[in-house]
Amino acid sequence: MHHKSKGYKAFTFFNTIFLIIVALLCLLPLLHLLAVSLSDKAAANGNLVTFLPVNFTVNAYSKTFTNSTFLTSIWISLKRTFLGTLLSMFLITTAGYALSKEFRGRNFFMWFFVFTMLFSGGLIPNYILVTSLGLKDTIWALILPGAFGAYNLILIKNFFSTIPISLEEAALIDGASFFTVFRKIYLPLSLPGLATVGLFIMVGNWNSWFDGILYMSSTDKYPLASFLQTVVVQGNMQDMQLDADSAAAMSERTLKAAQIFIGALPILSVYPFLQKYFVKGIVMGAVKE
Amino acid sequence: MKKKTLLMTTSLLALTLAGCGGTNDAGTESTAGPEKVDGKYDPMVTITVGKQQDELAGKYKTGESLNDNVLTRWGEEELGIKIDTTLLGGDANNYNTKLRLALTGAEKLPDVVPVYDTQLLADLIESGQVKEVSEDMEQYMPERLKEIYDEFPNTFNPVTKDGKTYGFAIAPFLTESQVMLIRQDWLDNLGLEAPTNMEEFEQVLDAFTNDDPDQNGKKDTYGYTFSGKNGYNTSWVSDPVMIFSAYTGKYLPKLWVENEEGKLVYGSIQEGNKEALQTLRDWYEKGYINKEMAVLEPWDAMGDFTTGKAGIVLGRPWMYGTVSDLETNVEGAEIGAYPWIEGIKEDKTYQSGETNDGWFVFNKDFTNMEAFFDYYDKMYDISFGEGDFQYGIFEGYDYDMVDGKPTYNPKEFNEPMDEVINAGKMIFFKNAPKVNEINAFAKVYKGEEPENGIELKAASQKPTHIKGYAISAEQQDTLIPDAFNGVPTATMAKNGEQLNTLENEVFTKIIYGEKDIDAYDQFVQDWHEKGGDKITEEINEWYDSVK
Repeated sequence: MHHKSKGYKAFTFFNTIFLIIVALLCLLPLLHLLAVSLSDKAAANGNLVTFLPVNFTVNAYSKTFTNSTFLTSIWISLKRTFLGTLLSMFLITTAGYALSKEFRGRNFFMWFFVFTMLFSGGLIPNYILVTSLGLKDTIWALILPGAFGAYNLILIKNFFSTIPISLEEAALIDGASFFTVFRKIYLPLSLPGLATVGLFIMVGNWNSWFDGILYMSSTDKYPLASFLQTVVVQGNMQDMQLDADSAAAMSERTLKAAQIFIGALPILSVYPFLQKYFVKGIVMGAVKE
Repeated sequence: MKKKTLLMTTSLLALTLAGCGGTNDAGTESTAGPEKVDGKYDPMVTITVGKQQDELAGKYKTGESLNDNVLTRWGEEELGIKIDTTLLGGDANNYNTKLRLALTGAEKLPDVVPVYDTQLLADLIESGQVKEVSEDMEQYMPERLKEIYDEFPNTFNPVTKDGKTYGFAIAPFLTESQVMLIRQDWLDNLGLEAPTNMEEFEQVLDAFTNDDPDQNGKKDTYGYTFSGKNGYNTSWVSDPVMIFSAYTGKYLPKLWVENEEGKLVYGSIQEGNKEALQTLRDWYEKGYINKEMAVLEPWDAMGDFTTGKAGIVLGRPWMYGTVSDLETNVEGAEIGAYPWIEGIKEDKTYQSGETNDGWFVFNKDFTNMEAFFDYYDKMYDISFGEGDFQYGIFEGYDYDMVDGKPTYNPKEFNEPMDEVINAGKMIFFKNAPKVNEINAFAKVYKGEEPENGIELKAASQKPTHIKGYAISAEQQDTLIPDAFNGVPTATMAKNGEQLNTLENEVFTKIIYGEKDIDAYDQFVQDWHEKGGDKITEEINEWYDSVK
């Protein structure tokens, strides 16, 4: 199947170079961050570090891992991401399965959900709602408001719709219930879709910081992203009454780099395991129509 | 769920009013409040607070947290006052957002609310949720604090409405003036003295750029690094405002200053700015100043100094602590601290200074003002070096007693640490109050024996650091606080941002040589026409009302 034409070769050549550049663009910032986090404080402050650590030290990491606030926040983030993804996936797949069928009122429900994509109450009503439900300062304030995303629902619903209806009919004739069909046919056949949407939700949960800052009234309840938000954003002009102790501590780029890097690790390590579902493609035909 | 919130609110209220009989949670006067026994409240008073958490505030020892740390425990044990943070924000933006949300009635305002934004302050006062405090101040504010507040009457402007006072500034204090840090070794290599006026400054810049001050045979250095990203008056670190002031005198860019007729005028449009821009433009062309200054944050602009590329940087005296990494990065590097150069127009150059770090307001239902003032006053012991805070804030945190003597070097602590833990940052109003720190440095610099904790701590610093603060103390009279600290006026809210952007853009383009110098005149004209005149009028109305 290989085309040996000049044009094809040139295309492959430039394509490879282009993809290498794109890959580097993604990789280099991360490498830089890693190098800074493993460098000596003075070198980092002077912008001397590029991709290799200068005066190698793991000081920033040992400091990070003895920082109790950091550790609690990472634990909260893990908990939130796990519970949040699980709940979201449950809600979205069950709703998606139902909505992929023909039934009376389907359009109403679909519009009902899509409506939430287009219009939202805004910050204040959301806040009042979450607060008066008593969710403030609990992990549910982070999980529940975003658990049912209409966009993800549409993705999953469309995915379910591509599965041939004959499969389901065959199973129903064999005496399976809708739940069995859902569990044994739809979910396994949709793994690529579930993996994609699952990753969206997971990354979303992991990275979201504003809700943490909004609904938590103490740093020991902050998820990691909120914690990093307060730590990494550079000091602003309003901090007029700085003193020498603070100024020295403020410029600790190595520490910030280490914290960001550790923060990025969990998602980075999940990705390779989901990767295989992305490449597998979508159609795994059992029935051809 | 609703029951739970109700329960929480009532228990909070009960805690706040602990000792008022507990169950009776409305309208109880503080006269029936907790008894003070030997300066300690019994039963314990709980004060709920809001805190804007800056990036340094999250540092606690293992096992400590925002609401349970060495400072909160000290408050409970020593004063019988429990500080409970119930409203926490990250940066200024989301702290303000949370305060606004609280204002909508979704939740109770904390007893004590530090506010850092004049607009929000006005809205809070307007909402009627905030307590009128003049009587409480009269009755409970300790004498030494009254004296401090008397020195800064302008800080009451934003919290005064219809002759009533709804709060007061947080720790009013005129910031330290900035110093000039120079590569002493470069000066020595070239046989130069530190510059004292514009002419000498330019000579030094030229020598630092062209005469190979680091003697490595390469043309890889330049004179002066500063940041222009947020305008040309950062009042903090990496500031170019001195160059402007050399030509404009006290009319600094971005600042509202009173002129001879007693009117407030805007600094950026006053005479002299054009000459200053012309000078910076020349310097930029000759390579004397930072090539990327327009995109660098103040903190980043210092980087070139820290790596040995630039020879001069200006900033608050504590900046030395950050750029001293230079001495690690570059062998033989030595930093000297010097006062600002003299101006051309007047005999000195000015800087902008701030007088306070936000304002306190109080929930209208807060009845424990006496306890608040007790606590607040105790925090001032830190800056006076008295009482429990004689040598520092907490032993084993920012200082330690070794062989009966206080040490401030964390590596010499009984349990050595990499850096001190700044317990001052645990206070709910962001920073420990300051009073006379620079005078302590000045005293130590003169060679006098240190007596109290503040002076001992000053004496333990590096010589350049001490000299920087001593210069800062001498230069205090060159600081000009912004005369306008009121609520943004109507036109300001509408056109202010646009004018600001215009100004930064025109200034930068002139310096970069992308626009002719006459673009400045055009800018002044535009400024007047696009709302500047209206703003000036509104601001002077405000000024007349508070004067």
